[in-house]
Amino acid sequence: MSALLAYAFRWSVVQESFGQLEHGLRITLELSLVALVLSLALGLIVALCRMAQFAPLRLAAYAYIQVFRAVSLYIYVLWVYFGIAGATGINLSPLTAGVIALTILNSAYMAEIYRSALGAVDRGQHEAATSLGFGRVRGFTTVVLPQAIRTAVPSLVNQFVDIVKDSSIVAIIGTMDLMGVTNQLVGFYRAPFELYTLVAFFYLTIVLVISALAAGLERHLQRHLR
Amino acid sequence: MSADGIVRAERINKWFHRGHAKEQHVLRDIDLTVTKGETLVVIGPSGSGKSTLLRCINFLAPPETGSVTFLGETLSQESLPRFDVRARLDHERRLRHFRTKIGMVFQHFNLFPHMTALDNVAAAPIRVLGLPKVQARARALEELERVGMGAKAKAYPNQLSGGQKQRVAIARALAMRPELMLFDEATSALDPELIGGILEEMKKLAVSGMTMIVVTHEMGFAREVGDRLLFMDAGSIVEEGPARDVLAAPQNARTQEFLRAIL
Repeated sequence: MSALLAYAFRWSVVQESFGQLEHGLRITLELSLVALVLSLALGLIVALCRMAQFAPLRLAAYAYIQVFRAVSLYIYVLWVYFGIAGATGINLSPLTAGVIALTILNSAYMAEIYRSALGAVDRGQHEAATSLGFGRVRGFTTVVLPQAIRTAVPSLVNQFVDIVKDSSIVAIIGTMDLMGVTNQLVGFYRAPFELYTLVAFFYLTIVLVISALAAGLERHLQRHLR
Repeated sequence: MSADGIVRAERINKWFHRGHAKEQHVLRDIDLTVTKGETLVVIGPSGSGKSTLLRCINFLAPPETGSVTFLGETLSQESLPRFDVRARLDHERRLRHFRTKIGMVFQHFNLFPHMTALDNVAAAPIRVLGLPKVQARARALEELERVGMGAKAKAYPNQLSGGQKQRVAIARALAMRPELMLFDEATSALDPELIGGILEEMKKLAVSGMTMIVVTHEMGFAREVGDRLLFMDAGSIVEEGPARDVLAAPQNARTQEFLRAIL
């Protein structure tokens, strides 16, 4: 501990690195947002299959959720980038491979979030919609889904925070995201303590901003639900 | 079918958990006709099948056997082929149309919590009937005003009292311009001081000539507004007749027992 206190922190490295980290930040946000949008959509589809009346569809969705939640992102990133590319000859950019890996893992989690939120919508809501002549699809989109999404928002935001944090793993295949840039700078400046501390603050800031925005969104969406 | 019969249910049977160990036969060979403008009151102990009967009429809980004829169209789930997708879709389409003509008011209101009172009432006219928004909103406001809720059009359900919610729910059903209204214990979840107001709305509706089937525990309402009364017990119609007569002098021993216990 005393050694850490005595450490001469090189502020100049922090100053000089800022510009390049900003570029990495942009990639991290892009990667996370694309993965968020895709896993929100795919997660909903999987959740609907999971709740379908047709048993094979239900089973397939169940398998999807169980399998993709069971393995770590680290393995997916390598599997998609080297494994799939090697087996099929399709050349994926590190960024695309990262988005795919983040999407399959997080869509499995989101499917479960959607499922519990959809299940929490009162039966009386289906009945009221049905009695008014709403069909399955229209009743779902007008009455059930808007309520379920409001319930799911806090958990979905947590999942987004996980996506942002986990996106740092994608650096292992050479993406120049926040983490990738940091790794490069560490090699250049030989200042791992300064740079990893700095990058941790970047992630912390993103997460705090997301949480603040989400709290506002949550209040807005749920103000009339209870 | 009598010439002016608006709804006729024939040989309705309904089971819960059919084919399982806990199978329950909740409706047994129910036959029922309601004529235009009539108010039919259904009473009976809880678990006797009153609510299920209402749900069978608009197929919220489709009857396993029997059919419902409404405005000349007969619907039945009995002979529907299980794997014929086209026949099933056609059946669902007919059902949806059928339901637009039958309004239902629930014990627990079931308003859509994420919509204002106005949007609750306008939603189905817009999205089911395909009315232009302006026209649907005008109609919704008219219906809200009719039940004394015009001033609360912009309020959300969680800002309304139970009685106000039920008024909005009635307006929501009426905005579809139904030919038949089903009331499923519409006052059972209300505070005692709010019950009278809702019964008053229902009475106004009955007087205006609406055809109604009302499941209720309010015997005063049954006597005053009901044209005809059914007493149900254990899934069967045990006694039936003019509401005043049945309430004043029930013939069946179980009806007598029930009325003695609650009056």
